[in-house]
Amino acid sequence: MAGKSGRTISNTPDKSLKSRLLCWESMMILLFILVNVLCICISPTYNIRNVFREMPKYLIEMFLLFPMAYILVLGDIDISVGAIVCLSATMASIATNNGVPFLVAAVIAIVVGMLCGLVNGCILTMFTELPPMIVTLATQIIFFGIAEIALGSGGSISLTDTAGYKAISAKIGMVPVVFFVVIVFAVIFTVILSRTTFGRNVYAIGSNRVAAYYSGVPVQRIRLLIFTATGLMAGICALFLTSILYGANTTTGKGFEMDAIAMAVFGGISTSGGKGRLLGGIISGFTIVCLRIGLGQINMHPQLILIILGILLIAAVLVPNISMAFTKKKTA
Amino acid sequence: MRKKLLSMLMCMCLTAALLAGCGSKEDTTASKSADTETAEETTEASNGGYALVTKAAGNPYNEKMAEGFSDVIKELTGTDAIIKHPQAATADAQIEVINSLISQGVSSICIAANDENALQAVLEDAMNAGIKVSCLDSKTNSDSRMTFVNQAGTKEIGTTLMEAILDITGGEGQFAILSATSQATNQNAWIDAMKEAMETDDKYSKLELVEVAYGDDEPQKSTDQTQALLSNYPDLKVICAPTTVGIAAAAKVLQDQKSKVKLTGLGLPSEMAEYIGDDDAHSCPYMYLWNPIDVGRLGAYVSSALVNGEITGAAGESFTAGDMGDYEVVDAGDGGTEVILGAPFKFDPSNIEEWKTVY
Amino acid sequence: MKDKKSILGKITASREASLMIVLIILCFVIQMRNSSFLTPSSIGEMLKNNAVIMVMTLGMLNVLLLGGIDISIASTLALSGMSVGMLIKRGIVTNTFLCFMIAILIGAVCGAIVGLTISKGRVLPIIATMGFMYIFRGAAYMVSSDEWAGADALGSFKDFALNSVLGINNIIWIVIVCYAIFFIVMKWTKVGRMVYAVGSNREATMISGIRADRVEFFVYLIMGILSGLAGAMAVTVYASAQPNMMYAKEMDVIAACVIGGVSTTGGRGSVGGALIGALIIAIIAKALPLVGIDAIAQNTVKGLIILVVIVLNVVTQRTMDKNVLKGREM
Repeated sequence: MAGKSGRTISNTPDKSLKSRLLCWESMMILLFILVNVLCICISPTYNIRNVFREMPKYLIEMFLLFPMAYILVLGDIDISVGAIVCLSATMASIATNNGVPFLVAAVIAIVVGMLCGLVNGCILTMFTELPPMIVTLATQIIFFGIAEIALGSGGSISLTDTAGYKAISAKIGMVPVVFFVVIVFAVIFTVILSRTTFGRNVYAIGSNRVAAYYSGVPVQRIRLLIFTATGLMAGICALFLTSILYGANTTTGKGFEMDAIAMAVFGGISTSGGKGRLLGGIISGFTIVCLRIGLGQINMHPQLILIILGILLIAAVLVPNISMAFTKKKTA
Repeated sequence: MRKKLLSMLMCMCLTAALLAGCGSKEDTTASKSADTETAEETTEASNGGYALVTKAAGNPYNEKMAEGFSDVIKELTGTDAIIKHPQAATADAQIEVINSLISQGVSSICIAANDENALQAVLEDAMNAGIKVSCLDSKTNSDSRMTFVNQAGTKEIGTTLMEAILDITGGEGQFAILSATSQATNQNAWIDAMKEAMETDDKYSKLELVEVAYGDDEPQKSTDQTQALLSNYPDLKVICAPTTVGIAAAAKVLQDQKSKVKLTGLGLPSEMAEYIGDDDAHSCPYMYLWNPIDVGRLGAYVSSALVNGEITGAAGESFTAGDMGDYEVVDAGDGGTEVILGAPFKFDPSNIEEWKTVY
Repeated sequence: MKDKKSILGKITASREASLMIVLIILCFVIQMRNSSFLTPSSIGEMLKNNAVIMVMTLGMLNVLLLGGIDISIASTLALSGMSVGMLIKRGIVTNTFLCFMIAILIGAVCGAIVGLTISKGRVLPIIATMGFMYIFRGAAYMVSSDEWAGADALGSFKDFALNSVLGINNIIWIVIVCYAIFFIVMKWTKVGRMVYAVGSNREATMISGIRADRVEFFVYLIMGILSGLAGAMAVTVYASAQPNMMYAKEMDVIAACVIGGVSTTGGRGSVGGALIGALIIAIIAKALPLVGIDAIAQNTVKGLIILVVIVLNVVTQRTMDKNVLKGREM
């Protein structure tokens, strides 16, 4: 694709660039605080207890945000994650109902997710010309389809033994367990992406795949690894989702991929690759979660909430672009 | 210096955008729907409120149900009901909605469930928080509800539809079912009831169910499925579509092709008025449905009776539903209880003109 | 050397030809399983039921040629279709032609907003259209005010899809006219060339004096117009307007393009290819219930077919490239 202007990568990040990036994240924090203030103003029931109680359902989508950020930085996209969640949740539920202990069921969920991710990765690395969007669209249909077949005519399965699942949906004080798990994964994924050679390689591939290849970066191996890791995270997501749903059905996980992409994009991660930081995505993820909880509490029409999210999504990219063009003109 | 200025500008713009977005949404909601106002009122009163959770937004059937629910709540308590639509027609989305209602401290939740089992955890939370949980239109499993407002007995719908098929086919021949999705709780229960009726009663022995097709409640897929049924089974006599989107799509296909195959099932009069008629030019001789407004009204009376302690949801109890008369809580056969509204209502050429403007 | 190319070589050298073979094999297999597939009425039904996707595929072809993407089209369709449906239901507009014009106008406005955001605001297409996907869909819900416009309310508007001219249904005529216009424009006019040029190498075309941002705006505008038209078509074909209509169908449209050999990175693809891609999608939808695959397995099979076809595309492309290189060595 032509016109990759404005995408720079350098060994020593220049000062002004760094300060600008820093500002994006600090702006996200500002926005996060603002959203919370707003929610407290409009909803009398918006308090820390209620937010933590409502949060798990939204938080589990964050498991998908982390690997999605990697995939977007690579310049790829994966819209099959929701379907992987559905398939993993289905398999884990079926296993549990057949008397498999919880830990084994958990492993099954994660392995099923990994296998699905591996399928995506294998197809995309064997046929590098294929657009990831279409491949993952096809696998999305297939994974949902397999789950549908496995679920049978009822299209829904209910756990007969919820003991293990109750443990992971429990709370420590008023903070749900899943919150801590998300934070741990957030730290791991952020550190790997921003502080290691592997992370730099990911950015290198996203900035210029050919150049990265010729400078010795194992492009396809990294892509395969990341797509597989995405499947793995989808498996973990499925496990926590099962703990909320006490089972699975054919609509489980539908639309998760768009939520994850929206969180990442809102956090400043570019879909054309090579740009953005996971920290921004994580803060934006929490911002969106809080906004949706707050607006939900004043019983706003769900489609209006989506309109607001849509406007925010575009504004987050449009406003800086316009202001940049404006300042450029002024100084020119 | 320039960068600093730029970054400050960016911050300001985004903040402004956010505020503008929020401001505009407040205007639109205030002018558009009364439920937002309601919510604010009820939340300002800090506690109480009767909530209805629908299956999805933008569906006139749900809307009429909500209308009946709000009217009765307004009449009984003087406050407006909280009507909540989930973002999508999934159980996942309903969980978010119920969580939000628990936060608001409502006193009752009446829900049309998108999945029978998936809401168990969150509804148990709600009941632990002292909220009276009932279902209407589409039930959850017996552990996650106190009682269920059933629009018509499942078995009754099954036999009614089989009677209609028997009547239209003239006693023998092939028929097919065009359903919604493979996991639609209601449709599956009704289809099972139809199959059971076929097995238990000898008079249906000459009828043959050739296929259950799924149109996913999408007009396009329902059209494809109907056309496939027509070409795969040339001897087909009747299609039965117990779903509002499916029946309208199938009716259009049959009527446009001037097919001899006739249609019956469950559909909205306003959607189906064009296709109902006795002659060959119309594809559907008659169909059934119940009054969604009454389903909503009875749901509201049940919620109110649960909150006031008139009933606890145990079988054998009875209560008065305003001008609708007395109702009894009966055993639903799945371990829980239900309140049955009445028999499904028949729409035929003689009354369709009158009903198509109502819902 | 060129003259001696074998027939096989010729076939593998043209992407459209190889796709045609896939199409013919698909038809043949289905025809073997169910003889009612290749009858005029069945084909007519299939085209009518997939007309909406076929029309939008043309717009998506242009967007993809430019290296962009548009996932807001199903929402634009819903907004225009729902608006037309409500206008008729309320009795404000009854003229069929006027309804189509209004739908196209709404589509054009949506397309223009998207185009401006992308070409002037320099927002990446996928982000911009994802935002507008939510916004337009939400707007469709607001327009509907939780009502549907059913067959009875649509009056004479729904007759448009029933009538035919010269034995061919009106809806199919629209598709034919659209494809004819695009075929000519994309192949023989300056505008078509410009789209290909900008998609192939944006910087080079800008240097040679073409306003790339204007071409970009124009392409999204066209996409919006076609989506708006498709909205009116969907309402008349199904005699029903619902705010959630054609939900997530943008993916079918993109899949049709990619199956038809259109590259998502820009610059490569043709109207013929798009047509074949759209036909393959249409055939899959039409044939799956016909050939007697279990209802519950139909989605899986659909996904598998899409996957196989796009992988086949890549394999033929590779043989093509190899053949070209061979020719050079000679």
